[in-house]
Amino acid sequence: MTGPDINPHRRRAETAAIQLRRLLHLIPELADGEEHRVDEVARLAGTSPRALLADLNALVERYDVPAGWVDAMTIFIDDACVTVHSNHFLRPMRLTMSELCALELGLMLAERERPAADRPVVASALARLREAITNLPANDRMTNLRVAEIADAGTSVVLGTVRSALRDGRKLRLRYRAGAAEAATERIVCPYATAFASGSWYAIANCERSEGLRFFRLDRIESADPLDERFERPAAFSLEAVLPHGRAFSAQHAGTMTVWYSPRIARWIAEREGSTRSDDGSLTLEHPLADEEWAVRHVLQYGPDAEVLHPPELRALLARRLAEMAADQGRTYP
Amino acid sequence: MPPVEKFQRWVDLLVALLRHKAGCTFEDLAREVPAYGNGRTAGDAIPDSVKRTFERDKADLKSLGVPLETLGAEGAEDTRYRVRSADFYLPYLALATPRGRQEPAHVGNWHYNSLRTLDFVPDELLAIAEAASRARQLGDPALEAEVESAMRKLAFDLPLDSVAGADEAHLVPPRAAADPAILEQLGEALQHAKLVRIVYHAIQTDTDSERVVEPYGLFWANGHWYLAARDVEKAAVRNFRVSRIRVAERVDNRLATRDYAIPGDFDLREHARTKQPWELGDGDAIQAVVELRRDTGAVMAAGHLGVPVGDAVHLRMFDVRRVDAFARWLLSFAGGAVPVSPPAVVDEYRRQLTATAARYA
Repeated sequence: MTGPDINPHRRRAETAAIQLRRLLHLIPELADGEEHRVDEVARLAGTSPRALLADLNALVERYDVPAGWVDAMTIFIDDACVTVHSNHFLRPMRLTMSELCALELGLMLAERERPAADRPVVASALARLREAITNLPANDRMTNLRVAEIADAGTSVVLGTVRSALRDGRKLRLRYRAGAAEAATERIVCPYATAFASGSWYAIANCERSEGLRFFRLDRIESADPLDERFERPAAFSLEAVLPHGRAFSAQHAGTMTVWYSPRIARWIAEREGSTRSDDGSLTLEHPLADEEWAVRHVLQYGPDAEVLHPPELRALLARRLAEMAADQGRTYP
Repeated sequence: MPPVEKFQRWVDLLVALLRHKAGCTFEDLAREVPAYGNGRTAGDAIPDSVKRTFERDKADLKSLGVPLETLGAEGAEDTRYRVRSADFYLPYLALATPRGRQEPAHVGNWHYNSLRTLDFVPDELLAIAEAASRARQLGDPALEAEVESAMRKLAFDLPLDSVAGADEAHLVPPRAAADPAILEQLGEALQHAKLVRIVYHAIQTDTDSERVVEPYGLFWANGHWYLAARDVEKAAVRNFRVSRIRVAERVDNRLATRDYAIPGDFDLREHARTKQPWELGDGDAIQAVVELRRDTGAVMAAGHLGVPVGDAVHLRMFDVRRVDAFARWLLSFAGGAVPVSPPAVVDEYRRQLTATAARYA
């Protein structure tokens, strides 16, 4: 942990703050005069039974009892159960400004994921939440301190359609133009998940045409139409399993390619890939390779600062493609 | 004073304040909160140490979001302190659907009579559940704790657990994620406007350097957390990727004093707007025209980032500040997107193409 030492008053205040927040969450749920199992209540509170009992004991084990306290709150604790009667704290506390700000950050992202026509409901949800906060002068200081931004790239309509289909378990008819394809193809897919990775949105779907799981970049989907036909996502589906290292890439039947990155750009690549550079500052990495066209695009984005070392066929393809580009470059638009 | 006593005292103080709808004086509170009246008999003056404890308690409760009002001059004998039930307790939250309105049972106790009811519609619930899901995925434990706390309060009345589809989208974190402890430290400094000393790894020069900064905001953009802050020595606002901040510590520990003010014209949302690599940098942008020569998915998606040029369906115009970055981006389309003007962009593209081809000669 960085930062100056926390002074003792502050440390005590933080401990007490955690206890108070926990109490204000718990009492509304417990104060029904019924017995509640301590372990279950602790689980709901996200704490240990021991910490929970310590909080409750702190309220009942006193040398002095505040005026009206006995009438206001009684707590019975035995080894396994707790029973609370209370006149106070029977409702949760209003939302705090920091809670609202945290949700607002999520709402910013949720808004960007929706088509323009569906965005007003995000604003109305935020307005509703604002009515539920505690109003303090210090609230103003907490606004606009955090924001969240995500690339839209015109994908929100498709994203909305894919997510509706996912929610309803309905198949989709996609017109998809792959990165290197000059024409779109039509596919029937069962969407299993959507994910934002490396700056782009993807639909992860079982493609009937390919008979397997595929990643569809949303900015390459030309149309998405929900069908009546239903599907069930396999229980064994796991996003973590299909997005190894956070990369949207289907490694089925993949070969490999070896790429050298110059010292000029290697630091960025090493940081992104979690790799270590050579002594001369360059980086050589092996990437899974399922699609040569993807490989061409990947390596050319770095210009002369990246070079495919292996396989030789890919080097030959790049040499041909670069020669064609040079020949074609002089052609101007009529 | 151990934390249990502080916790007890806060609870006692809150109960006392909530009991007095019209507010009460410190003298009243000293009678009702045992920790303030300990060892004191009627007629004794309240010790200054107790008054100081009360002042700290007030500040602490306010920092926890308790709407504690001071009625009258701070510190005067007849000053009253108040926490109104309606300002403290969550309103009743109802769900209005086409089939009717689901309202939670009201508490049968006069303390809660003033609570009003807020109506939510199902789509708002979905948006809130989605928001919670997204915020939880941003890799900041402090943020996640706030979300959990908020959702638990809302779920007291609203069927948030049954909102389907809120977690259909996943934000896949980058390998080099921000250190939660650094995020927490920056968040706290930001909230209290405290100067921060950071040790930052500048990836361009591959060096660590120490800087003192005034945090203006934290923004999450396309997978990464950034700190927007004014570098005191450079007297300029800079963005620091949080995952590259090695150390962050406040210059001083006094949270009560604010070290700086964020300029009124600083707009974090605008500042954080996602930019393409070629849009970054200072100076005027030049307009580059690109011809889309192939209809591949990659080229067509790229075309959406530019604007049309008249009626020419295969031309797009881009604002470019970094010509080298733009030329490399165009290279990645392997001849599918080619610059046609201005000459500076065309020449840079040609230069990079030639240098790249030389690697495979």
